[in-house]
Amino acid sequence: MLEIKNLNCSIADSDLNILNGLSLKIKEGETHVIMGPNGTGKSTLAKAIMGHYKYNVTKGDILIDKESILGLTVDERAKKGLFLCMQDPTVIEGVSNSEFLRTALASQTGEKVNLYSFITDMEKAMKEVKLDSKMLHRSLNMGFSGGEKKKNEVLQLKVLKPKYIILDEIDSGLDVDSLRIVCENINDYMKENKEASLLIITHYPRILEYLKPDYVHILKDGKIQKSGDISLALEVEKEGYTNIEDTVDE
Amino acid sequence: MSKILYIVDDNKNSDYKYEIEEDTIIYHYSINSSSNVEINMNKEDITLYYYYNNINYDDNELRISVNHNKNNTHSELYNHGVNVKNKILTYYVNGIVPKSSSKCICNQENQIINMNNGKSTICPNLLIDNYDVDSNHGAYIGKFSEEKLFYLMSRGINREDSYKLLLNSYLINSDSIDLNKIERFIKEIDKI
Repeated sequence: MLEIKNLNCSIADSDLNILNGLSLKIKEGETHVIMGPNGTGKSTLAKAIMGHYKYNVTKGDILIDKESILGLTVDERAKKGLFLCMQDPTVIEGVSNSEFLRTALASQTGEKVNLYSFITDMEKAMKEVKLDSKMLHRSLNMGFSGGEKKKNEVLQLKVLKPKYIILDEIDSGLDVDSLRIVCENINDYMKENKEASLLIITHYPRILEYLKPDYVHILKDGKIQKSGDISLALEVEKEGYTNIEDTVDE
Repeated sequence: MSKILYIVDDNKNSDYKYEIEEDTIIYHYSINSSSNVEINMNKEDITLYYYYNNINYDDNELRISVNHNKNNTHSELYNHGVNVKNKILTYYVNGIVPKSSSKCICNQENQIINMNNGKSTICPNLLIDNYDVDSNHGAYIGKFSEEKLFYLMSRGINREDSYKLLLNSYLINSDSIDLNKIERFIKEIDKI
């Protein structure tokens, strides 16, 4: 279980708190959605969970299977099963997709990766996410379109097999077909890995037509203002965030 | 087809002078060395690509001058260094186009990554005496981007291995290099 307890988080070198007492429990197999107006801390939450250097947790805790991960480095958190599908994946010139993924896979499994089986697995996975296999040999995210970058994130997810997946606006900048491909692959992954759980950060309910959530949470002023099911996302789509009342039990 | 030259300097100070009359690519790999390089572009319509990659442990410098002696000559210089210890590393990079040379392209990109608190300096000089020249330079001194390290580490790669990936991509920055010719340099990257 991924548990966020009364999380307060500020930008490094600043006193400004972005998250103010956010609490959330994500159990195995569950899909949670976080929605909220711009600037309320959705991406901050995603990055704080992953241990991004720009954010400081000033109060509260983040736990995986009841153990705090606050003292862990970013790679150690990844090895605990955390995976952040990034909103704008970083371009790294000169590091090929293939080299990167082989290194990541070897780091996560602690074993040397067999080149033949790696290439075979990658070709299959790339076909499934509809990425040209030539992209395996290109620099990481360099010259990739917005859609290709997001598919590449999903490709990494399929290869690294994480347990706690955070999708930070995976739907932004995706056309209808790409969104469908990305979501179908995530759904297949979730079916194959029953213990995996999803935290989806989004502005639009459109993605929820593909990825069915168990819970929808509205984030406002750095904490969860209201929780519900998919009908809450549809209400937001219709009415906006202004009329959302605080109904979360502390 | 370009002429390709390899230089590997290992703990020595060297002077190099090239008179080039055809398209040329020079791969210059330097381990803890100082170099003084002069290149004269002596024929019209030729292109020079110069890749300088340097691992530095002591006080060293690179001095490179490219003289565009003919019309329509084109130079692209990529100088990448890693200053490993708290020492001094200085690049003086000169692109020179006299008034007699027309329609030249003279570009340079220089970067030094400080692994500790060494003093690194880049002096990019574009000495252009003609109005129709296309010329650009870029210079960066600093650390590897924390954002890149975060991305690599977020996939389970530890900080040390993430650095290695970045160092390899930074110092061996062309797909067409014959790796056998720079075996010594590759081994040195692993020691950083």
